[in-house]
This record gives sequence, structure tokens and C-alpha cells, in this order.
Amino acid sequence: MPPPPRQLPPLSHLQFLALGVLLAGDEPGRVIRDVVASYGLQRTGAAFYQLMARMERDGLIEGWYEPIVVGDQTVRERRYRLTADGARAWRQTRAFYESVAAAAAERRLSNA
Amino acid sequence: MPESRLGQWLAQLLPARTAADVFEPAWEDLRIAYLTRRERADSSLARAALRVAYTLLAVLLLLDCWRLAIASGFQRREGRDALPTLIEPKQTERFAMVVYLVRHAFRQLVREPAFTVAALLTLALGVGANAAVFAVVEAVLLRPLPYTNADELVILNHRDMRTGITKEYIAIGDYVDLVGATSAFDSIAAYGRGQTAIVDRDEPYRVDVLGAGPGLIEILGARPVLGRTLLPEDSRQGAPPVMMLSHETWQDRFAGDPSIVGRTVRLEQSERQIVGVTPPGFTFPPNATTDVVIPLTLPTVAPAGRKNGWTLAIGRLKPGRTIEDAATNLTALSRQMEKDFPQTNLASEYFPLDLRTSLAGNTKPALMLLFAAVGVVLLIACANVANLLLARSLGRRREMSVRLALGAGGARLAAQLLTESLVLALVAGAAGVLMAYWGAQALVALLPQSSSVPGLDAVRINANVLGFTLGIVVLTALVFALVAALTVRSEKAVGVLNTSRGSSIGAKARRATSTLVVAEVALAIVLLVGAGLILRSFASLLAVDPGFRTENVLTMTLQLPGNRYQQVAAREGFYRTAFEAMKGVPGVQEVGAAIVMPLTGNNWTAPFERPEQPVPAGERPPEVGWQVASNGYFKALQIPLVAGRLFDDRDGQPNTNVVIISEAIRQRFFPNESAVGKQVRQGDQTAEIVGVVGNIRRAGLRDEPRADMYFPFEQNRPGQVSLFVRTGPDPQRATTALQAAIKRVEPNANIDRVQTLSEVASESERVTRVVLWLLGVFAVTSLALAAVGIYGVMSYAVRQRTREIGTRIALGATRRNIVWLVLQQGAAIAAVGTVVGLVTGLATTRFLKSILYGVSGSDPIVLGGAVTLLVVTIMLACYIPARRAASVDPAKTLAEQ
Repeated sequence: MPPPPRQLPPLSHLQFLALGVLLAGDEPGRVIRDVVASYGLQRTGAAFYQLMARMERDGLIEGWYEPIVVGDQTVRERRYRLTADGARAWRQTRAFYESVAAAAAERRLSNA
Repeated sequence: MPESRLGQWLAQLLPARTAADVFEPAWEDLRIAYLTRRERADSSLARAALRVAYTLLAVLLLLDCWRLAIASGFQRREGRDALPTLIEPKQTERFAMVVYLVRHAFRQLVREPAFTVAALLTLALGVGANAAVFAVVEAVLLRPLPYTNADELVILNHRDMRTGITKEYIAIGDYVDLVGATSAFDSIAAYGRGQTAIVDRDEPYRVDVLGAGPGLIEILGARPVLGRTLLPEDSRQGAPPVMMLSHETWQDRFAGDPSIVGRTVRLEQSERQIVGVTPPGFTFPPNATTDVVIPLTLPTVAPAGRKNGWTLAIGRLKPGRTIEDAATNLTALSRQMEKDFPQTNLASEYFPLDLRTSLAGNTKPALMLLFAAVGVVLLIACANVANLLLARSLGRRREMSVRLALGAGGARLAAQLLTESLVLALVAGAAGVLMAYWGAQALVALLPQSSSVPGLDAVRINANVLGFTLGIVVLTALVFALVAALTVRSEKAVGVLNTSRGSSIGAKARRATSTLVVAEVALAIVLLVGAGLILRSFASLLAVDPGFRTENVLTMTLQLPGNRYQQVAAREGFYRTAFEAMKGVPGVQEVGAAIVMPLTGNNWTAPFERPEQPVPAGERPPEVGWQVASNGYFKALQIPLVAGRLFDDRDGQPNTNVVIISEAIRQRFFPNESAVGKQVRQGDQTAEIVGVVGNIRRAGLRDEPRADMYFPFEQNRPGQVSLFVRTGPDPQRATTALQAAIKRVEPNANIDRVQTLSEVASESERVTRVVLWLLGVFAVTSLALAAVGIYGVMSYAVRQRTREIGTRIALGATRRNIVWLVLQQGAAIAAVGTVVGLVTGLATTRFLKSILYGVSGSDPIVLGGAVTLLVVTIMLACYIPARRAASVDPAKTLAEQ
């Protein structure tokens, strides 16, 4: 087994969660926000979209507006998809947490 | 209200990048949530609530975006990576503080929906009622009248000092002398109003005429847009007949013909040359229509019969002179004329009324009363919200203590409390303005439209009303901030943090709460007393017998085209045929005619003198009411004939001078004899009394039954009269047939103001009814608010005394004892409030004097009723917390100790 990477992950836990939602396919922003909130990470609408805007600027995701009809009105919904860079960053972050988890498990076994 | 245009507007308030990256996607999410919930809402109330909630969320979103933009500005300054911002760093900190405070205030509102809804509704009600009444007050009493220096204009009035009867007229002889002698007025001008018809190329059409005495147009400051104004020479006897057209008539009827000046048009009897066109919008009085202005012909020397003719008159005060100066001047001149002409001017006095007061009439005191009443409602609403704030401060005591402990200064806390109060008051103010928009329209619809009150057609929520509303909003916010600060100021940060409970407010705040409720109770009783007094007045007015039957009588005014009915014979022929035709309409029982419409405030008088008992030299004969009436008038109104006969065709013969007198004249001038057959002096002639009829209240229901003298309509049958038609149970049903009957006889007859006599009677007391309704609504509202206030205080008191109550029950107190204990506390507050309120109420009833009728300001029934109603309501409000206190579980309470 290769030695675990000794550098911090490229994503914060919040970014990690948000990108994780997009692994399965593109989603509207409000769905991502709901999933993030279900982990106890409540963010105001403005704070959440600031996070998404930063990830867009960093090339981790792509965002666009799509018209949807609600009741008798058409609304523009912001949707996002994961970019290749985003997917890579998510995998690196996951590897980081897995290595931390593995190291922790190994220490626990050796101490037992 | 998350509509797309609101989003676009809000986005413009943000830095462009923040708007695009942060605000827009969050805004669209907000819209999706709103629209989804709106789809599910099953009532208009729920949809309205959603709209309000999401509008608040939209504002919160905006503030949140600003917070992020500012925060990223800080980060950028510190070299950290962040979204760009458009704010300069120096402004950033100050602005960030304001945004934080406002955002925090909004969050507080959203976080405590029960408090927010209660406070907003209460305040919006108070602010809305004030703004609505102010909108009407502003239009009627404050907005400048459309004349140059209108505050210098006064209307001349006459007062008969023996009877106290006043009228807005001045005798022609006195007018001529006053114009030359007055020192307080720049000028005085007579005027009159009427209707006529312009007979031009096509059909004749009716126009409203302003008869202008010399100088009237100059007094009103109107400059002609074409031609010249009317000159004093135009008013001289024998002057060529001329006229001015109103700008509107010139445009509408003469297509704005630039060569109109000099053209001659026919005005019924006479041809007149157009000499000028008035400026656009010119009318006099302000709410009347003025199509045509013609010169009023007046003598230049006072005639021998000084009081044989009367005219309306307006004056402009000299610069620097006040209306008091004018009153002094007119009194002095009246005294001089009394000395010079005692037979006509004894006990006769002229006095000025400023133009606005004169036009507004009894609407002015009514509006001022309502304005005071809504002020009281606002005070009660403020007291209630202040109490809510005090109660809320209880829950926020720890928050404030933590802030103090962490080093927040007093100024910072004060700023936060002020911002919260301001946000609360502003949101309530916005809702209040919406309420005022509808409230003002409703108030205007309730007020009498037929009166001369200016500005009623121009009531708007304009900048003045918004400014006034903002003023009271800011004032209430300051009051609330002070109340909230009262609780914070006395906080001992450490002490509060050390106590685990922290659930009681200080003695100062408790005293403030009780004082506020006492004030509420006192103010509520003031309104209750006012409403009660007006209710009793209205009941008295309804019970008044006017001396004639108003039921089942249809009235209308009729004007014959002057050019075809100049001769008495022509008019006699018309009335004979028309009355026959009207009597042929199914259901019609009687048809009568008279000059004066009863119950419309008219109190024209004529001198009464018996030839065999002449008034001593140097004295003036007493005045009695004057009316011209037909035989059918008495029958249609069912005025009882006491002695003699009514007028009939015999009285239409030339040189037949007869009169009918009312019972009051008979009692006063013929106490021990029959009046029928006796003579009455009429100038140089005498007239025979042919009948005596019952007394009526002619001017209004509040008028005392007066002495009236009736002259026969059959004698000269004037071309403009009021008709009175007694019909079956539904007089309105005969309207069309009656109008058709008249039109068949004379197609160009002008029929106007068709209404039942009951409606005329009702209209005469409309202002009282409006004040009664509104004051009643305000009183009930204040009572409800006071009840809510005392309920809140008692609930809190019960919570505070839970342990004490538990101990009492454990020691043997019965539930009834506990209920009584709580009720006693409520009764003490109610008693103090009631005493203060009664004293205040008694002191303020004098402002109601002009509206009250048949009831004293200290009427014991009203005072007792108001106190009973208030005490019962308060005791009911206290009973709920009292029952809660009685249900305290002593075991649980003692265990907690």
C-alpha cells in the first residue's frame, strides 16, 4: 500500500459535500443546498451561492440557467455539473479522508 | 412579493458581480419556493401572508448579499482571495454596521412571528387610521385653495343678534355702504351663483353661472387668458351685457376659437358679448363648476329698503391685516349702521369667516375630531406595542447581557434597539399607507358630497401624507427604542448572566408596563365617552319631530328655460299642466312646490309687523322665517292646518296679498285672538293672514321649531322651485314617470337633485352619522387594544407570581380566592385608568359641542355606560389569566422551589 499523502485536501468539507452531490449527474443549486443542509450545514441562499460561484471560478463545476415552469410562471433555475477538475479534486479529497481513516484504524489496531 | 421585476430592482442595489453570482440564483430559488407554496395556498389570506413573508425574505436576501460583498471587501483589503466588491474600504465599515443592524432587525422580526404579527397589525392599524384621516384633512383643510394668497380671502356673514340666526349673506344696502367704509379690506365683492342655458347654433345647453360683482375676478387673482376681465362699468345699471367664458367651456363648446372675444351669444333671456376667457381650472367656489361669468348688477348708492335684497360677498384683507382686525372693523361698521338705520339694522351684525372655514362648514370640526380620535388610537396602539416590546425584552435579557459582557457599548446597543424599532415601525408604516389608501377613499365616500367642502375630490396619498406618516413612524420608533432601552439600561450584565432564570424584568420596567396599560384604559374611556355622547345625540336627532312627514315624499329641483317663461301667465300655464300630469302618475297623491327646501340649512327671514301694532321708531321689526309655498306643499309634507285655509287659486289673482303663518307666530303676535283675517305689513302694503299651520324645523333637525311666514306660490309661480311629491311606499319608483310627465310639458325643463325627503333629512345629519360610525369603530378598537394590553400585563403578573400562588393554594387558598386575587390586581389598574380617563374625557367633551344634540357633555348614562363597558371588558380580559392562576399545581410549584 502506498504511503498516505501528507498534504491537506484541496476541498473544504462543504465543497466536498456539494461536489459529491454532483457525482451522479447535474443538479439544480437548491437540490445541492438541501443535501448539504441535510448534513447539518445550514447556509443562507446567498452564502451557498457564493460557495458555488467560487467553485465555478476555480473550474471545479460549471453552472448555467435553465427555464422551468412553476405554476403559471417561468423561472430560471441555476444548475451545475461537475468538471473533470472537480471530479479529480473530489477524488483527492476522498483519498485524503480514507488515508486518515485508514491510519487511524491502523493505530487503533496496533494499540489494541 | 418575489416578482421578477422586484428581483431586477433589488439586483441593481448590489455590486454587479455579487448580483450576478450570488443574488440572482438565490433569488430564483426564492421565487421557486414562493410559487410552489402559492400553488398550494387555498385562500386569498394565505396567499397574502405568503406574499408578505417572501417579500421579507427577499429583503433579507438583499441584506445578506450586502454582508457577503462587504466581507469579501475586507478580505480583499487583507490580500485574501474573495469576490470583488464595489464599495470603497473607508465606507465599508460604517456601511457594514448599518447593514448588519438592519439585517439583524429583520431577522428578529422573522424569528418571532407571533410578536411581529401582533406588533405590525396593531401599529399598522394606528398608522393607517392616522394617515387616512390626515389625507382627508390635508386635502380639505391644509392644501392651498386655488386663489392667489387665499388665506387673505374671507366670506362676509350676517348675524341677527336677537335670534342668533346667522346666514352667509349681506343685505344689498349694507353691502354698498361697507364697500366704501371698510378699512380692513383691500376690496369687497358681491357674487352669486345660478344656472342658465347658452342658446348657440345647436340645442341650448345648461351652464353654471358665477355672477361677479365689481372686483370679484381681481379679488380671486384670476387673469384672463384671452380678452379682458369684467370691469366695474360692466356691473352698472344699463351697461351693455357682457360675459366671460371659462377656459373649459371655451375649449369644449367653442373649440378654443381664438377669435371668440367680441362674439355675441344668447344666454336665455339676453344676448351677451364675450369679453374674455378665464384661466384654466378657474371656478368659484373651488368645488363648484363655473362655465360662465356674468357681471352682477348692483346699485352704487344704498337703496331705501336696505334689506330688501341680499347677496353673497367675499373680501380680501389688506396686507398685514388679520381676520380679527376684519371682525373688529365689521363690528364697528355694524354698530354705526345700527345707529344710522335702526329700523333696518337694529341688532344686525356682520362678521367675517375665512374662506376655508366657510366652505368646510361643519365638516371641519368633524375632521378635527376624527383626527384627534385617530391620534388617541395611535397612542393606544403605541402603548400596546411598547408593552409587547417590554415583554419581548424579557426573553432577550440574556442576549443583551452577553453583548454588554462582551464589551458592546451603550451606544451600540441603543443603535441596535433603535434600528429594530425603526424597522418595525417602517414596515408597519408601509402597511399603514396601504390601509390609508383605501381608508381615505372610504372616508371621502362617507362624507356628504353635496356640501361645499373643498378638496374632497382630490384626496390623495401624496408627498405630504407620506411625510406625515414617516414623521409618526419615526416618532413611534423613537418611543419604542426608549422603552426598550429602559429595560437594557438597568441591566447588570454579570448579575443577569449569573442568574439561571433571568426571567423577570426590573421594577422600573414593571411600573412602565402598568403605567402604559393605565394610559391605554384612560384613552379608551375618552373615546368611549365621545362615541357614547355622539350615539346619544344621534338617537335624540332620530327622535326629533320636524313638524312634517318625510316618508314617501320625492323631491326635485326644477328650473324652467327663462326665455320661454318670462311672463307669469306662461309659468302659470306650465305649472297647471305639469302638476296635472304629475298627479296622473300612478301612486302620486299630492304635488307641491316651494322655494326653500327644508332641512338644507336655509334660514332666509323676512320682517314681521302688524299694522295696528307698529314697531316703535328706531326699532327693527322681528324677523321670521320666509318661504314661498303652494297649496300642495303643505299637503305633500302633511304640515297640519291649525286654522283658516291653505293657499288656493284665489290667491293667484293680481293684487291679492295673503300669507299663511306658523303656530309660533300666532302664539307670539296673536296670543289671545284669532290670527286669521288679520293683516301683516309687507313694505308699503299689507297682506291678509288666511291660515295658520303647524311649526316645522325648517333649516335642520337641530333647528328649533321657528316662526315661519309663507307667501303664496300661486301669486307669481317662480321659474326655479323645489317640487314635493307624496307617493306610495316607494317614492323612487315614480321618479322616471314624474320626470317624463314634466318633460312632456316642457322638454327643456331642467330637473335636478331628485331624492326622497327622507334622504334630504338623512343628508342633513350625515356628518354626525359619519363621526358616530368612525368614532364608534375607533372606540371599539381602542377597547380591544386596552383589553389585549391588560391581558398581557395580567398574564405576565400571573407567571411572575406562580410560586406565590402555588404556596397560597398549598396553604389552603381556594381557587375562587386565587381568581379574586388576580382580578383585584386588574381592577386596580382599571380603576386608576378609569378615573384618569373620566377626568380627561369630561375635559375634552367641549370639543364635541358643535356635534352634540340633546345631550350634555357629562351625561351620566353615557359616562356610566362607558365605565361599565370598559370594566366588564377588562375583567373578562383578566379572567383568563386569573383562571390560569387558579389552575396552578401547588405540588409541582413547591417541588420547583
